[in-house]
Amino acid sequence: MKKASQICQSKLPDNTALKQQQLPAYRLQLSATGVLSGFFATGAFCLGVGIILILSAKSIKEIEIKYTKICANCAELREDAINFDKECTCSIPFYLSETMQGNVYLYYKLYGFYQNLYRYILSRSNSQLVGTDLKDVGNCAPFSKSHNGTPIAPCGAIANSIFNDTIILSYNLNSSIHMEVPMLRSGITWWTDKYVKFRNPTAINLSSAFTGTAKPPFWSKSVYELDLEDTENNGFLNDDFIVWMRTAAFPTFKKLYRRLNRVQYFIEGLPAGNYSFNITYNFPVTRFKGEKSVVLSTLTWSGGSSLFLGLAYTVTGAVTWLAAFSMMAIHLMLKEKRTLFIER
Amino acid sequence: MWRWVRQQLGFDPPHQSDTRTIYIANRFPQNGLYTPQKFIDNRIISSKYTVWNFVPKNLFEQFRRVANFYFLIIFLVQLMIDTPTSPITSGLPLFFVITVTAIKQGYEDWLRHNSDNEVNGAPVYVVRSGGLVKTRSKNIRVGDIVRIAKDEIFPADLVLLSSDRLDGSCHVTTASLDGETNLKTHVAVPETAVLQTVASLDTLVAVIECQQPEADLYRFMGRMIITQQMEEIVRPLGPESLLLRGARLKNTKEIFGVAIYTGMETKMALNYKSKSQKRSAVEKSMNTFLIIYLIILISEAIISTILKYTWQAEEKWDEPWYNQKTEHQRNSSKILRFISDFLAFLVLYNFIIPISLYVTVEMQKFLGSFFIGWDLDLYHEESDQKAQVNTSDLNEELGQVEYVFTDKTGTLTENEMQFRECSINGIKYQEINGRLVSEGPTPDSSDGNLSYLNSLSHLNNLSHLTTSSSFRTSPENETELIKEHDLFFKAVSLCHTVQISNVQTDGIGDGPWQSNLAPSQLEYYASSPDEKALVEAAARIGIVFIGNSEETMEVKTLGKLERYKLLHILEFDSDRRRMSVIVQAPSGEKFLFAKGAESSILPNCVGGEIEKTRIHVDEFALKGLRTLCMAYKQLTSKEYEEIDRRLFEARTALQQREEKLADVFQFIEKNLILLGATAVEDRLQDRVRETIEGLRMAGIKVWVLTGDKHETAVSVSLSCGHFHRTMNILELINQKSDSQCAEQLRQLARRIKEDHVIQHGLVVDGTSLSLALREHEKLFMEVCRNCSAVLCCRMAPLQKAKVIRLIKISPEKPITLAVGDGANDVSMIQEAHVGIGIMGKEGRQAARNSDYAIARFKFLSKLLFVHGHFYYIRIATLVQYFFYKNVCFITPQFLYQFYCLFSQQTLYDSVYLTLYNICFTSLPILIYSLLEQHIDPHVLQSKPTLYRDISKNRQLSIKTFLYWTILGFSHAFIFFFGSYFLIGKDISLLGNGQLLKPNHQMMFGNWTFGTLVFTVMVITVTVKMALETHFWTWINHLVTWGSIIFYFVFSLFYGGILWPFLGSQNMYFVFIQLLSSGSAWFAIILMVVTCLLLDIVKKVFERQLHPTNTEKAQMYSNTVALSDEFIALQPLSRARNQLSKLRWKKIRVQSAQHMNLLKASTEGRTVGTC
Repeated sequence: MKKASQICQSKLPDNTALKQQQLPAYRLQLSATGVLSGFFATGAFCLGVGIILILSAKSIKEIEIKYTKICANCAELREDAINFDKECTCSIPFYLSETMQGNVYLYYKLYGFYQNLYRYILSRSNSQLVGTDLKDVGNCAPFSKSHNGTPIAPCGAIANSIFNDTIILSYNLNSSIHMEVPMLRSGITWWTDKYVKFRNPTAINLSSAFTGTAKPPFWSKSVYELDLEDTENNGFLNDDFIVWMRTAAFPTFKKLYRRLNRVQYFIEGLPAGNYSFNITYNFPVTRFKGEKSVVLSTLTWSGGSSLFLGLAYTVTGAVTWLAAFSMMAIHLMLKEKRTLFIER
Repeated sequence: MWRWVRQQLGFDPPHQSDTRTIYIANRFPQNGLYTPQKFIDNRIISSKYTVWNFVPKNLFEQFRRVANFYFLIIFLVQLMIDTPTSPITSGLPLFFVITVTAIKQGYEDWLRHNSDNEVNGAPVYVVRSGGLVKTRSKNIRVGDIVRIAKDEIFPADLVLLSSDRLDGSCHVTTASLDGETNLKTHVAVPETAVLQTVASLDTLVAVIECQQPEADLYRFMGRMIITQQMEEIVRPLGPESLLLRGARLKNTKEIFGVAIYTGMETKMALNYKSKSQKRSAVEKSMNTFLIIYLIILISEAIISTILKYTWQAEEKWDEPWYNQKTEHQRNSSKILRFISDFLAFLVLYNFIIPISLYVTVEMQKFLGSFFIGWDLDLYHEESDQKAQVNTSDLNEELGQVEYVFTDKTGTLTENEMQFRECSINGIKYQEINGRLVSEGPTPDSSDGNLSYLNSLSHLNNLSHLTTSSSFRTSPENETELIKEHDLFFKAVSLCHTVQISNVQTDGIGDGPWQSNLAPSQLEYYASSPDEKALVEAAARIGIVFIGNSEETMEVKTLGKLERYKLLHILEFDSDRRRMSVIVQAPSGEKFLFAKGAESSILPNCVGGEIEKTRIHVDEFALKGLRTLCMAYKQLTSKEYEEIDRRLFEARTALQQREEKLADVFQFIEKNLILLGATAVEDRLQDRVRETIEGLRMAGIKVWVLTGDKHETAVSVSLSCGHFHRTMNILELINQKSDSQCAEQLRQLARRIKEDHVIQHGLVVDGTSLSLALREHEKLFMEVCRNCSAVLCCRMAPLQKAKVIRLIKISPEKPITLAVGDGANDVSMIQEAHVGIGIMGKEGRQAARNSDYAIARFKFLSKLLFVHGHFYYIRIATLVQYFFYKNVCFITPQFLYQFYCLFSQQTLYDSVYLTLYNICFTSLPILIYSLLEQHIDPHVLQSKPTLYRDISKNRQLSIKTFLYWTILGFSHAFIFFFGSYFLIGKDISLLGNGQLLKPNHQMMFGNWTFGTLVFTVMVITVTVKMALETHFWTWINHLVTWGSIIFYFVFSLFYGGILWPFLGSQNMYFVFIQLLSSGSAWFAIILMVVTCLLLDIVKKVFERQLHPTNTEKAQMYSNTVALSDEFIALQPLSRARNQLSKLRWKKIRVQSAQHMNLLKASTEGRTVGTC
C-alpha cells in the first residue's frame, strides 16, 4: 500500500494506526463490578493494615517530661543573656512503672522554636561544614564574622543557636546507688551527613585546623572542644551538632539526643524503677515562650508511638466499605428499575 | 513624527477629501492649479510584520496574553528583589515559550510575504511616454494607463478607456470576487473608445474625478473630463466602466484602462477583512480562569503579608534571639520591606499559574492538528485532496459550533448544473448519456421505449428525416412528434441570454463541426447556470446554439445552420418569473418563445398538454430538480406590428416605464401554447442532506448564505434538506422601505408565535436584510432565532460577513462557523469564529484564507462531530487538569507559611519547583490531550446528538471549574495535613528505618517533609490523570507509569550526588532516607488512596444517577448492548432471557464485521487512488 502511494505521489495520508487515531487501546470503563470489587479490596486492605499498625503502636512505651517549668529558676536565669556563664543544673526524678524493652532512645523536644524560618535555614555555609573553605561565610549573616572580623566557624544562625543543654539519665537502683545509664552519643545521624556532608578541615590537630576562626557568639566553647574524648565526634563531626543542623520542619520538634547502650543492667532495655534526669540548663526558651522536654521512647517496625497512621488506615477502610455498600445498593436499585422497564 | 508613526501602525487613516482627482497618464496641468494628491502604491500587503518591526510587534502581541505578561512581571520581580526562588525558575520557561511562538509566527509571516511578493511582482504593461513598458504590478501608480490582454487578471481597479472593439466594450468575469461566473459587459466612454493604440492614447488629455475608495463592489460614481480641441467634454462614469482588481478579462483581445484605485485601496482589498487573530472560546475561558487564579494568588499573597506583619508585631517573633536580623534588613524602610515581602509571596505562590499550560496547549494544538490532515476519512479521492489545517489555534472550537453559515454554489452543490429530464407534450423523457429516453409507456407507441433520441441520432447520421427506421407508428404521428420535439429544443436554444466565447465561434466556418458535433468544446457563459445547462443539453441533443451576433441568433439543427433574427427580448424579472424572446425564423415566420416558472407560464397557456405537464413538473420538483416551462406562440405579422409598437412606446416612456412595460409584457405573453417543461439538477454534493441533518441533530443551526437568486436558492435549500417540505417557509424579500420591512418582520414574528408546532424556515434577501439590520436588529434576530433554518439570498460578500457578525455579537454569543469555496466567501470565512474553505473549482482563495480547508461539504460532519468533539474534550480536560495540579502543587506551600511564621520558606526544593510542571507531570497530560478518545469515533459520528453534550463550553463551565479547583484544594489539604499529622507531629515515626536498615534512626527535617508531600502529590496527580483517561494505548501506559518511575529515579539520582554546581545540598540523600522508612511508604499509600477514593466515589455516583448522553453512549458502546429496536422486536416475555444470551454473540459478530468493514474501506481507498 505504501509503495502504491509513493508511486502515484498522491496526497493520500498514510494509513497507520497512529495517524488514523486507531492505536490499539484498552478502554478504561468504571464498570460497576470493577469499581465495587476495587472498593471492597481497598477497604479490606486499609482495615487490615490499620489494625496491624494500631496493635504495633500500642506496644510502644514513651515518656515525656517537660522541664521548663520544673526548672523554673534556671529558665529565669537564662531569660537574661548576661548570665550566660552562670551554670545552672536541675534534677528531675521520675518513676518508670514498666520496663522499656529493646532499644530505648532519648530525645529532646522543643516547643515553639522555629527552625524553619527562611533566613534561618539559609544561614549556613556548606563549604565551611565540609571542611574545604573555613573562610566562606557568604550566607551566614548576621553570624558570619565576629566583631574583630574573623570568620565564625561554624557560621550562621543555625549553628549559633545549637541546643546546648546536657541531659544525663541516672538510674536509682535503690536509695543509695545512683548509676548513670550508659548512653551512646554516636550513630544518631544520617550516615551521609556524618561521612560526606560534614568534614573537619585537615590539619595535624583539630585546634590548629580552626585557627583564624572565631567561635559562634552564643557558644561557650569552640567547635573543636565539643567532644574532647572522641576525635570522631569532635569539631564539625559532632553528632549533636549534625543533628541540630538538620533543620526541623515544624516549630514543635524533637531531635534524637542519645540512644541506650544496652550493657549490664540495661541489656533488655530500661528496667522499671526510679530514674532521674540531670540537666545542665543552658538553652533559653522562655524568651520566645517556648518549652523544652525530654523524651524516652522505644520503637517498633512501624515507627513511633503515634496511633494516627493506624487510625487513619482504619477509618479510610471503613469509609471505603461504606461507600462500596451504598454504591452497590444504588446499582442494584437502578438495575431493578431497568429490568422492570424492559419487561413492561 | 507621532502622526507618521500612528499612520504606519494603522491607527489613523490618512487625511482624505471626498473625491480624488486623477490625471490620466499623470499629465498634470501646466498652470499648476492643482494640489497633488498622494495615493498609495499598488502593493498588496497581507503580511503582518516587516523585518524591522517583527521583534517589537511580535513581542508586544505576545505579551498581550495575560499569562505571558504575568510571567514577565514575575521574572522582573525576581530579578529585582531578594526572593525565595531564583529568577531562572520563571525566566527560562518564559524565554522558551516566547521564542517558540515567535519562530512559529515568523515562519507563517514569511510565507505570507512570499505570496505577496508573487502577486506584487507579476509583470504588467503600462503606457508610459508613448510606449508600452513592462513593469511589475506593484509599480502601478494611480493614473497609469495599463494594458491587459485576454484572460489576464486586472492588477488594479481600472476605468476602461478602450478595447479592441469599436464600441469600447469588453467582457469580464468576476468569479473570484463575487462568485458570479457569467460574463459581464463593460463599456468605455465613446470619446476614449476610439483610442485603441498606444500612440493615440498618448494624445489623450483627461481628468477623472471620482469618490474615494469604498468596499461596495457595485457602486462607483465619477466623471471624466476630456479635453478635446480646447473643449472640455464631461462624461459620467458608473460601475459599467470600472474594471475591478481580481476580475478576469474574457473574450476581448486587449483593453486599456487607467488605474484609479491601487493596492490596498482596491475594492477587492477593501473587501478582505484584515486578518485578526482568532481566539477560541476555550482560550477565552482559559483567560478567565487565569484571572480568577490571579485573584486567588494575589489574595493569598496579601493574606500572607498581613499575617506576617501581625506576627511580627510581637517582638519575640519579629526577631527571636536565634534568628537575628542582618544590618541590611534593619536599615531598609518599612514600606519598602512591606512591598518586597508582598512581592516575595507573589513569587513564592506564582506557580499556581502554570506557564507550562501555554506551552502544552500550543504543543497540543500544533501536534493535534496533524490528525485532521492525516485522516483518511477527510481525504477526497477524485481531487486528491486531504484536509488542510491553516490555524491550529481553533481545533477545539470545532466542537463548539452553534451556527453554520454555508455558501451554496460549490459548497453544497458541485457547482455543475446538469440537465436531467424534460416533459415534452405530456411525455416525460430522461437524458441518459446524451440521449433522451422516454419514461414509462408513451401513449403513441406500443412498445413503450421509443426514444426521440434514437430518432435524432439516426437522423444525425443519415441527415435525413424521413428515412429514419425507428419510427414505427404512422407517419403523420411521427412527423408531428418530431416537430414538437424540434420546436421544444428550438425554444430551449433560443430563449435565453446565454453568451458564447468568441474564439470558439470564430472557428465555425472551418468545418470540423460539420461532421462531428463537439458541444462540450463550446464555452457558454450565462448569468443563470440553468440557462447554461439547458443550452448545453439542447446542444447535446442536436440543436446547437452557436452564437448571437448583433441581431441574429445562429442555431445549428442537426448540422444545418439556421439563422434566427432576434427581434425582442422580454427580460427576466422576478415578478413575472419568466422571460421570452421574439424571433423571426429563416422562413420568415415570427415566433414568441417563453420560458419561466410553471406558476407563471401555465396560467397563460391555452394549448398543449397542460395538465400532464403540470403533473410532471410536480414530479420533477419532488425530486429536487429545478423546473422551467417552455411555451411558444406564432405571431402573425399584424400581431407582431402591434407588439413592436407597444413595446417601443413602453420602452421609451418617460414616466412609469416599468409599469407600462409590465403591462405590455403581460399583453404579449398570453395565449401561449405549452411545449413542455425542463428539469435541471444542480447536482448536490455527496451526502449533503445527511450532513445537514446531522448538523441539525447536533443542535447546530444552519444558515445558507448565497449570492444566488431567490428561487434558485430556495429550490437548492429544499433539495439539500435545509428546508423541509413540512416547514413553514417565511419570506422577507423585496422590502423597499424601512417601515415596510418592520411591518413584515412583525408579521412574521406573529406567525411564528401562532403556530409554534411546526418548524419555520426563513428566506431573506440582501436588500431586505440590510434594511432589517439597519433599524430592526432585535426584531430580526428574534425571528431568526425561532427559525430552524434560514436562507439568505442575493448577498454581497461583505453582507455575508455582516450577518455572521450580527449573530456573533448577539446576547448569547454563539460560536459560528462559515463554509465557503469562493473568493466571495473569504470575508465571511474570516469573520466567523471558525472559517472552513472548500477546495473547489473557484480557485484556492477561500481555502487559503480559511482556518481549515476540506474537499467536500460532507467532511464537515467528521470534522465537527469527531475531531471537534475530541479536541474539545481533550483541551478542556487539559486546561482543568493544569489548574488542578497547580493548586495541588502550591497550596501546601501556602499552608506551610502558617507553620514558619510567614518567613517565605519554600516547602519544596527549587529543583522540584522548576521541574514539577516541566518534567514530572507534563507528559501524561500532553499524551492524554493528543490521544484521548472518550468514546469510539464511530459512535460519535453516528450519533450527532452527543455533540450537544459539549455545547456552550460545558466542560469549562464555572461548575466544573469549581469542582476541579475544590478538588485541587482538598487534595492539597490531604497532602499537607496528612503528612503533617503522620510525620510532623511525631518525628520518631519516621525515625526508624528498621524495614530496610535495622537500628538506624535519624531525624527528618523540613526538606524530608517537603519531599514526602511532593512525592504523594506527584503520584496522586499522575494517577488522577490515569483515572481521567479512557483510551489506554501503550503510549499512555508508558508516560503515566514512566512519569512516576522517572520521578523516583530522578530523585534518587538527584539526591544521591552532591552536585558541585548547585549551591544547596539540601536534598542530599533526603529521598533515599525517606524511602528507607517503612512508615513513609504506608503514609504515601494511604494519602494517595484517600485522595482518589473521594474522586472515584463522586464520579461513580454521578454516572449512576445522572448520566449524560455521552456517558450512556460510553456504557453502551462498550458492552455493545442490544439496540432499542432489537428489544422492541422481541416478544416481551422473552426479551429478558434473550438479552443475556444475545449479548455475547452480538459482541463477537459485530466486532468481526466491524473489522472487516474497516479493512475493506481503507484498502479500497488506497487502491482506488492510483
